[in-house]
Amino acid sequence: MRGAAETVLALLPSDVQYGDVRVVRRTHEQVLVELDGPGEVGYDDSLGLGLRVVIGGHWGFAATHRLDPRGLDAVIAQAVGQARAAGGGGHVRLGERVTTRDTWSSPMVVDPFTVPLSTKLDLLAATVKEAETAGPLVQQIEASVDFYRDEKVFANTEGALIEQTLTESGGGLMVNAGDGNDVQRRSFPQGVPRQIRGQRGDFATAGFEHVLSLGLPENAARIASEAVALLTAPQCPDEVTTLVAGSNQLAMVLHECAGHPMEADRALGTEASLAGGTYATPERRGTFRWGSPIVSAYADATIPGALGSFGYDDEGIPAQRTQLVKDGIFLGYMSGRESAAALGDEPTGASRADGWQRLPLVRMTNICLEPGDSSLAEMIAGTKRGILVDTNRGFSIDDQRMSFRFQTEVGWEIRDGKVGRLLKNCTYQGVTPQFWAGLDALGGPDEWQVHGVPSCNKGEPLQVAHVGHGTVPGRFQSVQVGR
Amino acid sequence: MSIDQAQVEQALEILGEGTRLDVLGENADLLRYAESEITAQHSERRLRVRVRISRDGRAVAGSLETLEPAAVRVLADRLTAALAELPPSPAHAAAGSAADLSAETPEVPAARSVLESDPAVRHRWFATVRDGLDPSTRLGGAIRYDVLDRVVADSTGLFRAETLTKASIQAIAKQDGRSASVKLMHRDADQIPIEEIPGRLRQALIPLPFGEAHHGTCRVLLKPQAVNSLIATYGYAALGANGYATGRSAVSGRLGEQVVSELITLVDDGTDPDGLASAFDAEGNVRRRTPLIERGVLKGVVSDRRRASLTGGVPTGHAVPDGWRFGGDPVPSHLLLAPGEAADDELLAECGSGLVVNRLDYLRVLHPKETLVTGTTRDATYWAENGKVVAWHPQLRFTFRMDEVLNAVLGIGSVRERCDQTFMESVVVPSLLIDAGPLVLP
Repeated sequence: MRGAAETVLALLPSDVQYGDVRVVRRTHEQVLVELDGPGEVGYDDSLGLGLRVVIGGHWGFAATHRLDPRGLDAVIAQAVGQARAAGGGGHVRLGERVTTRDTWSSPMVVDPFTVPLSTKLDLLAATVKEAETAGPLVQQIEASVDFYRDEKVFANTEGALIEQTLTESGGGLMVNAGDGNDVQRRSFPQGVPRQIRGQRGDFATAGFEHVLSLGLPENAARIASEAVALLTAPQCPDEVTTLVAGSNQLAMVLHECAGHPMEADRALGTEASLAGGTYATPERRGTFRWGSPIVSAYADATIPGALGSFGYDDEGIPAQRTQLVKDGIFLGYMSGRESAAALGDEPTGASRADGWQRLPLVRMTNICLEPGDSSLAEMIAGTKRGILVDTNRGFSIDDQRMSFRFQTEVGWEIRDGKVGRLLKNCTYQGVTPQFWAGLDALGGPDEWQVHGVPSCNKGEPLQVAHVGHGTVPGRFQSVQVGR
Repeated sequence: MSIDQAQVEQALEILGEGTRLDVLGENADLLRYAESEITAQHSERRLRVRVRISRDGRAVAGSLETLEPAAVRVLADRLTAALAELPPSPAHAAAGSAADLSAETPEVPAARSVLESDPAVRHRWFATVRDGLDPSTRLGGAIRYDVLDRVVADSTGLFRAETLTKASIQAIAKQDGRSASVKLMHRDADQIPIEEIPGRLRQALIPLPFGEAHHGTCRVLLKPQAVNSLIATYGYAALGANGYATGRSAVSGRLGEQVVSELITLVDDGTDPDGLASAFDAEGNVRRRTPLIERGVLKGVVSDRRRASLTGGVPTGHAVPDGWRFGGDPVPSHLLLAPGEAADDELLAECGSGLVVNRLDYLRVLHPKETLVTGTTRDATYWAENGKVVAWHPQLRFTFRMDEVLNAVLGIGSVRERCDQTFMESVVVPSLLIDAGPLVLP
């Protein structure tokens, strides 16, 4: 892999002003067990090379799965041809040169690729068996584990050469219950898009120990029982009320309301065709009230084990922490080299690509809330009337990341400081700054938890990023909820 | 065709009995632009080999990016070892109907305009659109050319191959706080009327005043890009055979019943050149014209081999690829909504006072059994009075039942647009005029 990278750089023509090459091998193993037995065992292997060049101030990018001499010649010709076709006159600016030479590996205790298949099958079969105890209204059970390994070589014409190995592990459970009139779903530890390979459950940049720590079999019966109970639960009422959001639910709200809007490329308009723009425009930095004074948020790619952690991004910038919101005020962006230069900033190490075949984009890393001084129990005890929601089921948000509506798998009414009846089909909606202005309590440091989300979509062509969110439970006043 | 038949057959031999290969040679070239300047140019070349082996009620899957025998052998050894460890599963024992080897592969011609394109063509397209707009208008979007070589083959002798070409352009224009978008696509780049795009954008950026938000219900004229989101999402959520059979669909058990307005006739037809035709699905089943809704009555659903019993024992050609990010169940791929007889001006006149929506964005299903969705308007959204557009309307969020909206159709446009979705290959739809009621302006 390193040889291919060095060969490509050595073959670049002299009019290349800047070039970088990434050679990536991604290995993926998945194991799925369903209600009626093993559903799928799969192994994916992907190896290829992506080359970016700047000629005449314009980018050209090409990618290939062929690492033989003819393949490398072809990828150079394509990238160079793309850049030259613009006819010069461009003005790509990348800021300070990147010359780092290093190797980095993510931490893990047990290499998941050395764990026997039978061990994984046994874990999942035990999970399914526990979920089955919820009775005959359980129609569908899916328990799965997924493991990824990315071996990456990055090199550029400025002298950088970085080799990284990232190992990721995840697992999850999904139960569907139905009674002929209604179908309800519960997932654990977080919302699981049905049958989407590699994106089920909670993930970490860690080894097999992460999967064991999830407690899949231990929680399966409870989750399945909740799915069944939801069939006969009352609908979430339509009202403006107090909303208490669990930690994993708040992770997704933070993702959509702070993560994407504070990616610098959106602010610069380069994602307008698909994802859209953002309310977080450059002139609002330092003045725009994003939320209540008790909320502060940051991006941090250095959290050990978090899914959005790494050593260096795909432009060779070291992982780092970036303050996005401080005391409720919008402060800054996640950025890559080009977007940072355009904003007059230093890059924050947030430029990542989905495999070798895609162009690096600004992607969120681990978007985190600074913990508060309350607790979930205190928030509930201090609420006369409201609802408690947990586990994201779906959402929609507008192209400026303002107006949103989230749906959760499960909710409970809160009455006089106590959790009451189970509620189904809970949704809540809001407008980003107004919603976060209503935040009046956040869980404390001992409730702070990182959630790994392997399904963040962005870009044209679409890219899937693995990201993390460090969150606590939170309470919001005057929220429109309903079904 | 970049996929060598001999290599495919050799791979099948190495992988052995019960193997199906779904091979994709992907060639994508892309020009992206923002703020009226080029921001990125891509060339991506990829070979994806998806392998599925089913033996004795057990199934394993894998993928790699080469058909080189040595690499295939490594994967074969790994999959064989996994098969040996797996207990049999009832789900795989009932694998569905066998491949239909007798069905001929429909021919979908590949367009030379895409096969032989170079970056200069995409630059000309970009310049044509940018230079046709007022200099104060900022242009964003992307121009994309795709060549997709496909082979589906299996160890029973199935071998189907096709080369699909596609060119598309998305242009989003912004001026003085207003925005408008156009998206055009075709299998043949020469059939895309690039020179018309600036005029369409200028017309959509009509300098009307910005009006106040209206509230409550009103008639809503959904233009084709908005209807695209509505029809695609409804088809995805309601018209697949597995959802129908398991009771998860809103129309489960309602074949032969009225499910939407009698003005609605909807088919799925992968062979119709009005859409983006393709010949066969990921299992190698040929795509068949499948009536779904006829004058509002549910006539059918789409199926793969596992659910072929619901469609007369023959799959309709709607198996999705292994590991598809939108699920594993068969779903519509090439929807065509029958046009009506009204010109869009006539629909606007019939709308009277109401909302005109060009685009519905981020439409997401909240409750599939009720076809309840939520989404927002995007780009040009107008308010009309007495059949004339009089103001820009603020963007808004709709939460509604799709079946109620499709049951409140007052009129259908005569001109259809070819659209797509990330989860659907093509959607061909006209404008729809929706009566006041199911769409509530918050």
